[in-house]
Amino acid sequence: MKEAFAFLPRSWSRERRSAVTIAIALLGAVIFLWLLAIPLSWMPDPIGPAAAQFAAGALCTVELTVAAGLIGIVIGLLAAFGKLSKVPPLRWVANFYIWVIRGTPLLVQIYFVFFALPDLLPVQLSDFNSAVIALAMNVGAYNAEAIRAGILAVHKGQTEAARSLGLSPLQTFRDVIFPQSFRVALPSLVNNFVSLLKDSSLATAIGVVELMNIGNRIRSASYQPVPVLITAAVIYLVLTTLMTQISGALERQMNVEDHK
Amino acid sequence: MEEPLNMTDSTIGNSAALKSGAERTPLITAENINKHFGTAHVIKNVSTSFYQGEVAVIIGASGSGKSTFLRMLNRLETHDSGRIVIDGIELNADLKHIDAVRREVGMVFQSFNLFPHLTVLDNVTLAPRRVRKTPRAAANEAAQALLAKVGLSAHVHKYPHQLSGGQQQRVAIARSLAMQPKVMLFDEPTSALDPEMIKEVLDVMKDLARSGMTMIVVTHEMGFAREVADRVIFFESGQILEEAPPEAFFGNAQNERIRAFLGQIAN
Repeated sequence: MKEAFAFLPRSWSRERRSAVTIAIALLGAVIFLWLLAIPLSWMPDPIGPAAAQFAAGALCTVELTVAAGLIGIVIGLLAAFGKLSKVPPLRWVANFYIWVIRGTPLLVQIYFVFFALPDLLPVQLSDFNSAVIALAMNVGAYNAEAIRAGILAVHKGQTEAARSLGLSPLQTFRDVIFPQSFRVALPSLVNNFVSLLKDSSLATAIGVVELMNIGNRIRSASYQPVPVLITAAVIYLVLTTLMTQISGALERQMNVEDHK
Repeated sequence: MEEPLNMTDSTIGNSAALKSGAERTPLITAENINKHFGTAHVIKNVSTSFYQGEVAVIIGASGSGKSTFLRMLNRLETHDSGRIVIDGIELNADLKHIDAVRREVGMVFQSFNLFPHLTVLDNVTLAPRRVRKTPRAAANEAAQALLAKVGLSAHVHKYPHQLSGGQQQRVAIARSLAMQPKVMLFDEPTSALDPEMIKEVLDVMKDLARSGMTMIVVTHEMGFAREVADRVIFFESGQILEEAPPEAFFGNAQNERIRAFLGQIAN
């Protein structure tokens, strides 16, 4: 998607326009979630009376997505390091993890964490936490591939230059390789994040009261699937649109080379 | 500063190219170096020494092993056998030794390898701030002075892609100098440049040589070798075929291979 805030003054630096775009989109997301109940309450039956529930459901969806998304980045980084490791067992573990997660349905993974994990480990997780773990593990496997590709895309000469200046391997990664590979990986990471937001609707299967769950409840109570599902879809659409705006601005901010 | 990790004796043969007044102890000693890439024997039993303040120019056809040899001197390539000692530190698999050597040895690459996501100033200050723990303000000040020296004061806040190749290579030289190395290695520093930019880089290198910097330069710029070098080293098939002061080397090359090479370069 193209820059939505192209109306910002051209005289501003690219960084400044991007930062403002990010701020506006973030603020928009907060206001949207905060005030969502008000426009919904103006709607006719069956949406109006359930406005507060829709707003709470949307908030829960965002919470699921943000929590799983952040954990998923960490898991993705670890799995990418594993795949690129010179130590064979680390590679095997990372490859096995990615193979299993990408080769099985997300619904199975969510059920597994919620129903099967308590039988295997002495833990009892809430439905929300189970969903966060399953979603984070899932998106982490896809993130790993994106991050790995980003790291491999950085030219070998960059490492050579950094190392020959005396930077340690860790400093080389943090200051030279990671910023460049993150820029390469960002579009894929954002795609994964948008998918995650949509996939979080599967958490309804274990009883998490997020947007889809609310939609199901209202639909079955009102027998009016059309307005209810359209409302849910529109809320998802607004959230994913805001997210792509934020990521687009982030990309432009970091993309030093293609913009003057 | 690092303590010398491994002192060596100074019995290595003296170079014909010693500058008057230079110390007799070699700064860099390479003894019987061998290197294979798979089945190819790319460096064959090479031994030589480099002295404080010396400017050595390494020439030879591509594939002769000259770049590989240069890259061994800060262990961007490993050697299979033999010994490399730099400023008293032996280069081996020990990471501490490698890091200690790399802090003393600057490297300039054919493809510049500037960090594209950092400004010119940050390219120059990154290593001093991270490795030498220089405070940002002091590092910036030192970097500004170095960038002025290479004629780039007007460009400190630009990104590498906004500069010409010659300007980028001069930034790369300033970036290496910011670590105050004892030796500077140049790996074909002008080979990726348009002809009109070669001079500005060579001029910076000449200034550096005049300031007394120890330099080892792999290049095809024979004019630079003639004018600046104390010693010319000719690589052929992974061996040093000849090393001599430039007058002797260019004046009456006895070896037919060298004559043929110089003839091709001249054309």
